[in-house]
Amino acid sequence: MNQQNKTCSYIFPCLVAAFYMFLYVPIIILIISSFNASAYSYEWRGFSLTWYHQLWESVEVWEALRNSCIVATASVVLSLVLGLMFVVFAAGTWLDHLLLTFYGSLAAPEIVLAVGLLSFFTFFSVPLGLTTLIAGHTLIGLGYVVPLLHSRFHELSYVLTEASLDLGADYRTTFFRVILPLLSPALMASALLTFILSFDDFIISFFCTGGTTQTLPLYFFSVIRSGASPIINALSSVFLLVSSIVVLLFSSLKIRNMDFF
Amino acid sequence: MKQWQEYHLLSRIRSFFWAIPALIWQILLLYIPLVFVLMRSFVDKESHFTLSYYVELFDATHFIILLRSLALAATTAIICLIIAYPVAYFLSMYMSRFKNVLLFFLIIPFWTSLLVQLYAWFSILDKHGFLNIILQKLGIISQPYHVLNTPFAVYLVSIYCYIPFMIMPIYSILEKLDMRLREASLDLGATRWETFRRVTVPLSMPGIKTGFFLVFIPAFGEFVIPILLGGGKQLYVGSLITHYFLVSRSSGLGAAFTWLSSVILIIATVIMHWLFVRVVTPRKTRRAMYEPTK
Repeated sequence: MNQQNKTCSYIFPCLVAAFYMFLYVPIIILIISSFNASAYSYEWRGFSLTWYHQLWESVEVWEALRNSCIVATASVVLSLVLGLMFVVFAAGTWLDHLLLTFYGSLAAPEIVLAVGLLSFFTFFSVPLGLTTLIAGHTLIGLGYVVPLLHSRFHELSYVLTEASLDLGADYRTTFFRVILPLLSPALMASALLTFILSFDDFIISFFCTGGTTQTLPLYFFSVIRSGASPIINALSSVFLLVSSIVVLLFSSLKIRNMDFF
Repeated sequence: MKQWQEYHLLSRIRSFFWAIPALIWQILLLYIPLVFVLMRSFVDKESHFTLSYYVELFDATHFIILLRSLALAATTAIICLIIAYPVAYFLSMYMSRFKNVLLFFLIIPFWTSLLVQLYAWFSILDKHGFLNIILQKLGIISQPYHVLNTPFAVYLVSIYCYIPFMIMPIYSILEKLDMRLREASLDLGATRWETFRRVTVPLSMPGIKTGFFLVFIPAFGEFVIPILLGGGKQLYVGSLITHYFLVSRSSGLGAAFTWLSSVILIIATVIMHWLFVRVVTPRKTRRAMYEPTK
């Protein structure tokens, strides 16, 4: 028994260390190459910020960043408002059983959703662009926001609502002063999740823009396809920085039973 | 729950009208478009009913592409499971001091764009990349190989990109697992292996299943990895759908292929689900879990 314990205590840490190496060696090489003066990652020509400088100067990147931010913010606001409205107003009515509707966008492969959206938009000849992109990303966002808010909302104790009503608050005050503050961690978490999903999304954007609008992942893809440029190293590091900040914010929320990450 | 319904302030108002916009959004942009795609696959350019698209799909090329995607998805999911289970097990059972740090570093790739993750492999797998340099220095190979644009690169990077999706659900189940059950099993004379096989694994089955499908379903429709790392030489389901819709503009054929592959994906998922319940869970445990004791 003791012998076995010993082997376990050696094998498992080695395994986990190997796994983390597998996970992080490519990322670390990527970050180091973004500071490399040479355009080739396999020869080190000294530290430089050239690629970051070029990234800063690039007009295309700023344009893409602007679009990405617009789309992500709009889809966060839309999916939070629509999702919260559904969760709150459907509670206790027959509409609550339609919660299952929102799992559809999680269960289907993203490419099927993208194909559906594209055929829908072309059939009604909706011009492809930022609007269609926001519509598509909100669809994905609702699939995460509604189940999350729903479970949090139904965990809230009705006693608090009742107390608030008994003490003379009207429905509106109860909602804004009692329910909304209690839901705020879940709201923050869903906002961050929707933001990063939209910010990183490629497949829906690829189908829903029709080549008219550039977002950061689309720009990223087009540069890789046309022969990678070292600017992409710098851009990747920026992406990694953004997601680590979001993860830090997210984990500081300390939400119980979060199975979404 | 019952009390919620009775006391709920907003159910008293009965203004469930406001719940409808989200539903409309979902139905209009998800369910109606899917019906559209289905209709499109049965209608030709003169808007007559036709089965010609499906007939056209019925050949060896499409069959091979479907099989290739199924193989990619299944292999990725199985290898991810084999790597992820020990890691999740270790993180949940043995680590206490560095747990948060390790989890933090596990989540970052999960929240980073897939494109960044796969681009990270370019400088390693390239002909002049690190893998070839190291292997040459070690004297294992004499000439650099083309690792990029091969099926190997596609499989490797798929596993890399999807592994966090496997670890997180398994970890969250294992962490909530009741340690007393394992202790009871050990006390009653089972060996550590038997306890693992008969207690821990069956109890973590929901996590394994979730993780498996979180990897299997998106990997089946994947098209970015095959295009960028497979060089587009070998077609997969995702890349063929993209080709039909965006390159060759034959949306009827694309719609038919989308539906065909979705149906095959659903069948594959059902079979996998059945396999999980029937084969992977030992019969005795299954009896204990699913049949109520008298």
